[in-house]
Amino acid sequence: MNKYRKIALDGVITSNPTLKLVLGTCPTLALTTLAMNGIGMGLAVTFVLICSNVIISALRKVIPEQVRIPAFVLIIATFVTIVRLVLDKLLPDIYESLGLYLPLIVVNCIILARAESFASKNNILASACDGLFMGIGFTLALTLMGAVREILGAGSIFGIVLWDFQIGFFSSSAGAFFTYAIFIALFGMSASQISKRRKLKNYSALQAEKHRLAEEAVNNSAEAEQSDACAAKTDNLNGTPRAFGSGTLNDSAAGELKKEA
Amino acid sequence: MAKFFHSVWFRCISVLLIISVISGGLLAVLNDILYVTAAERTARAVAKIYGKAIPVEEENIILDVDSENPDKTTPIEYEFGRIDKIFIINDDLLFQTVGYNGYKNGTVTLWIKVILQDGVYKTDKIILETYTKQTLMSKFGDSYFEGFKLTDITESYENGDYFTSETGVNSNPNTGATFSANACCNAVNCVIKYMGENHE
Repeated sequence: MNKYRKIALDGVITSNPTLKLVLGTCPTLALTTLAMNGIGMGLAVTFVLICSNVIISALRKVIPEQVRIPAFVLIIATFVTIVRLVLDKLLPDIYESLGLYLPLIVVNCIILARAESFASKNNILASACDGLFMGIGFTLALTLMGAVREILGAGSIFGIVLWDFQIGFFSSSAGAFFTYAIFIALFGMSASQISKRRKLKNYSALQAEKHRLAEEAVNNSAEAEQSDACAAKTDNLNGTPRAFGSGTLNDSAAGELKKEA
Repeated sequence: MAKFFHSVWFRCISVLLIISVISGGLLAVLNDILYVTAAERTARAVAKIYGKAIPVEEENIILDVDSENPDKTTPIEYEFGRIDKIFIINDDLLFQTVGYNGYKNGTVTLWIKVILQDGVYKTDKIILETYTKQTLMSKFGDSYFEGFKLTDITESYENGDYFTSETGVNSNPNTGATFSANACCNAVNCVIKYMGENHE
């Protein structure tokens, strides 16, 4: 279960493809003029990621090492073509707005990178999860960027007009780079804060554990001393020589515990 | 021979071939299911222009290269473009025109709505249908096509007042895509010429 939690966290936050790994920059910059474009592109990439990851993972032992990249591209291109056909038939507006960037998903770094680095080395379920969460991370990043650029550049959100105030800069290519930079900076800052907090939490937990172990060790040594004293008294009373080591053993156990702590 | 069948090369080629054949088969089936017909594309364009779906009856088709009627399938050719479709919808004329001489000799296909107002033919709405080889065409927004609105098409024809990409307003200074703009101008010029010659 922890493995899948890690995959989910990696995809959405720790290794977010757009904001952390800075992959798939071309559609990110070009298509985020509208939030709807971000969702459309994100969902298309998510579908291709999941399907290609599953197939590549299933065929990972069949595809020879020498032709793995052409084979991956073939598989990815098949799913991209399916997405194109479906969008053209069912969602022509989104198909038109994505334009050239839809067929370019074939050479999207995120998909090829996940195929090469994850799907070709992991089982089907893990690969599907990786595709899903990487896709979610990509979709979230694109949608958020698209929303900000649409609000500031067009004064609307998801096509609903909010106000007449517009800053044309945010609709331009320069505005795309600017927004992307701000997003990367903010994401990096919050990710480092989260990681710091997590480290602090882990450190506190470790300290508490150390403290507990040390207390246990002290208690054990006190008990050992008490039992030694009792044994010595009994020996004195009975006049038999004292059995070797009970106290010594307890001391060594306490020492080990201290070491562990 | 047996050595070849056990070699890595044979395995590589067979794996790639098998993937290609399976992908090809799957895509062929899906293409058959999801293919968008010319009639469907026309219906979409009409819905986009009029804001609602309006069926185009056979008697309202003046010209349609995709029509089943062979008398209506010959496009009207000019040196700078051609007209593929002319429909009469709600007393308006709807043209599908193809402008030549774009970037790398590519083309731009537009839908142009012509209305008759106070006895004068005017262009009302122009939308982009498709294009070939025009890499910067996606940069041409709706506002660009607003620049092609004519108040009197017949007068423009009589004065020889055709659009050119060098006339300033339609040269699209934002992108500098002069050749693509030229193809757009040619697509609109097809309507000016047709209306000028056949306005009666």
